[in-house]
Amino acid sequence: MVEQKAQATSLGRGFWIATAVMAVAAVAGAIYWVYAPIESWVPSIILTAHQVDVFFRFLAAVGTAIYVFVVGYIVYFTIVFGAKKTDPPDAIGVQIHDNHKLEFWWTFFPTLLVVIIAIVSYLIWAEIILKPASGVVVEAIGHQFNFTFRYPQINGEVTDEIHLPVNVPVTLNLTSSDVIHSFWVPAMRLKNDTIPGMVTAIKFTPYRTGRYPIICAQFCGTLHSTMNKQVLVVEDEASFNAWYHGMQLKNAHVSNALPSTSGTIALTGGDAAAGQALFSQKCSACHALGPFDQKIVGPGLRGVLHDPKHPTLVDGDPATPENAAKILQQGFTGPMGTMPNATTNGLSDKDIANVVAYLNSLK
Amino acid sequence: MSVAAAHSGGIADHIHPEPQGFVRRYVFSIDHKIIGIQYLITGFVFMMLAGLLAETIRTQLLNASGGFVSPDTYNEVYSVHGSAMVWLVIIPIATGGFGNLVFPLMIGARDVAFPWLNMLSFWIFPVSGLMLFSSFLMGAPAAGWTEYPPVSLQGAPGTTMWCAAIFLVGVSSTLTGINFLVTILKMRAPGMTFTRMPLFVWGQFATAPLLMIATTALAAALAALFMERVFGVPFYDPTKGGSPVLWQHMFWFYSHPAVYIMILPLFGIISEVLPTFSRKPIFGYKLIAFSSMAIALLGFMVWAHHMFTSGLAPFLQVLFMVMTFTIAVPTGVKIFSWIATLWGGKIHYSTAMLFALGFLALFTFGGITGVFLAAVPTDLDLHGTYFVVGHFHYVLVGGSLMGVFAGMYYWFAKMSGRLLNETLGKVHFWLFFVGFNMTFLPMHWLGFMGMPRWVATYDPQFQFWNRFESVGSYIMTLGILCFFINVIYSIRAGKKAGPNPWNARTLEWQIPSPPNYYNFKHIPTVYGLPYDFSQPLPYTGLEDELTDSPPAQLTGAHH
Repeated sequence: MVEQKAQATSLGRGFWIATAVMAVAAVAGAIYWVYAPIESWVPSIILTAHQVDVFFRFLAAVGTAIYVFVVGYIVYFTIVFGAKKTDPPDAIGVQIHDNHKLEFWWTFFPTLLVVIIAIVSYLIWAEIILKPASGVVVEAIGHQFNFTFRYPQINGEVTDEIHLPVNVPVTLNLTSSDVIHSFWVPAMRLKNDTIPGMVTAIKFTPYRTGRYPIICAQFCGTLHSTMNKQVLVVEDEASFNAWYHGMQLKNAHVSNALPSTSGTIALTGGDAAAGQALFSQKCSACHALGPFDQKIVGPGLRGVLHDPKHPTLVDGDPATPENAAKILQQGFTGPMGTMPNATTNGLSDKDIANVVAYLNSLK
Repeated sequence: MSVAAAHSGGIADHIHPEPQGFVRRYVFSIDHKIIGIQYLITGFVFMMLAGLLAETIRTQLLNASGGFVSPDTYNEVYSVHGSAMVWLVIIPIATGGFGNLVFPLMIGARDVAFPWLNMLSFWIFPVSGLMLFSSFLMGAPAAGWTEYPPVSLQGAPGTTMWCAAIFLVGVSSTLTGINFLVTILKMRAPGMTFTRMPLFVWGQFATAPLLMIATTALAAALAALFMERVFGVPFYDPTKGGSPVLWQHMFWFYSHPAVYIMILPLFGIISEVLPTFSRKPIFGYKLIAFSSMAIALLGFMVWAHHMFTSGLAPFLQVLFMVMTFTIAVPTGVKIFSWIATLWGGKIHYSTAMLFALGFLALFTFGGITGVFLAAVPTDLDLHGTYFVVGHFHYVLVGGSLMGVFAGMYYWFAKMSGRLLNETLGKVHFWLFFVGFNMTFLPMHWLGFMGMPRWVATYDPQFQFWNRFESVGSYIMTLGILCFFINVIYSIRAGKKAGPNPWNARTLEWQIPSPPNYYNFKHIPTVYGLPYDFSQPLPYTGLEDELTDSPPAQLTGAHH
């Protein structure tokens, strides 16, 4: 045993030569990832995409280096410590059970590495996620099997191509009309699911013009594979404005005017049946059709305009059709949370009139 | 009852008579060894079926425009492929199969704590498997193995069958978990303290609570999906006030621990195979054992890392990211300990050893790519792409399935009394290893470059690598065919194994192959860890095992 222990503590020249070879390979691998032409594989078009690439290089470089050593030692040990034909059949290896110093260090270094990776990821995460909303606000809605987009002053919806001005911050509000999709632009290194009944936002600033594919990255039904035909167009401000005005003119006749959050809504001619359909599609995720106390997120809305126990709406105004329309249009934040405004809930003036007619019909 | 005697201090050195008749012995058996073999056979049959589905996927993807099957069929094929490989192949083989077959022998027990429950656990499994595959007859589930609502609410009637099948196989898992936990806690031979248990037993001990606790969350999620699909109870449909994200939380609260259910028992197999064929003690026994427990515990706290793009609150993204990173530490420690076990050994290049070494290389790769997916910044790009598909196949095929094969080449001798053919085994290993890397390595860059998951057709720029992958998958399949041929050939004509062909030191190798119905003539007493090759075996009471002497007194039949 004593003799074997002595043998066990000496690593030998071969070990150090192999380690040196692995070190060279590990450094070469790491250097490859530092200089790898990632942007020639997939262009990077938003500021944070570049940071994600830097982080990717860092992880790939560290990962490659570690992997070279792991595989290197497996192969090296397997070859040098192979049982030889000349060995007696009952030959055994050196009987060491553990080495506390070694085990401490190979627990300590991965822990340190994990802490470093966690800090770096946190910093880049904060850049991507914790941005104030500003600039152009666009809404993306997932459908089986395409996305449609809404801009503040363009009537109706934009399909096929989404245009964005270069170097202007963008807030993209995402939701879905049916199942979960995922809005992914590989060139942005960013995706976010569009979830029915939920509005989520991603914020970014494109800095490179060009045309980049938009791909659905969450299974959404039979033709999910084909939901990759749409294009994100980033262009200079003049081209963007030209496109924007063009779309405004082209869609001017579209009656389903995009909701705006100001102006008076004409409630006459509201169609309660259409309102009921809209309600189940847009409102019922948060509002039950039960009494006021039956909360999902917001209050139950049965008899909301005819309830003697609740003569006012959540904003304190009298429960009249006009004031209900105002909440649907402008939104409201109070103790129960946020009722989204028309830009987010996607209701046009006509839609609001229909929903109010429906609410008014609930006794 | 032997159980009662076992924990009243004295050891039950009495033996129940062996059941007679084919049906009692081999069909509705309560013998853990037979049940283990039943699990293995059933699991491998389902593996063949799910493997055919895998080859359908790869054949469809030979062309960017698809064309082998329709998009609908394609979606059904990969959904059932994933579901079957997880619930009908890896989990039952790793727990019910190898667990039943080996660990009661390793702790010196005559059977598991609840043999009848064990029989029930097994028989639920083929029934639920048939239910899952029969869903093809009515329109199979098509929303991937994760079946996210609302799209799974739109799925064909087979989706409801899927819910029922997975629910049932979950019941089987839960019962197995309870059974194994009680067996390990209560039925160890005298002297078999926790720190003398072989590492395979530790692997099963860490897995059992996951089976018991996590699976119940899945059962609740499935019951809700079933009720919503059949009775319209709105759990997940947002237009009726449900939450589609609720499913994701419930599903991943099970399915992330399930990843550890699929790997911890295989860690155990690797920890047995490496010392045996290195003729060396496992390096860092305690650290390997405790890191399994740490992984099992941490595994419960990381589920939402599958949901970074699902509208998770920002602070939760950070929390789950950091928790996930911490799992890298116990996992890294295991890898280093296994490599150190090789150092200074007398390594025998048996097929089992090759698979164990292949496991080390491929599982580590899957672990490293896992960090890219745990980190929110890179996950927001890579989530839902082929990078993920590559990653989890490295873990579940390169890791788990390699471990399963290592276990098969190692313990086939114990279950059948014959050795698997080593030459054919090595052909199997190299075809499988090369084919595997060809199939799954290119997926990483395809995903990065913009190929999403779950697609029946794709951008033609990815066609070259997809064809390359398909060729790789055919090579891999040839390897697996070698395995099946090997099993069928060796069970009749393989070399006789004898009790201990590998000169291994754990208890199961000290008794005949295959073992007698009662496992041990006398329950042995244990004096130390099994792994030191320079010492005599740390057991007494095994003197009669390889002689013709009769076992200890048989008790009368009193079931």
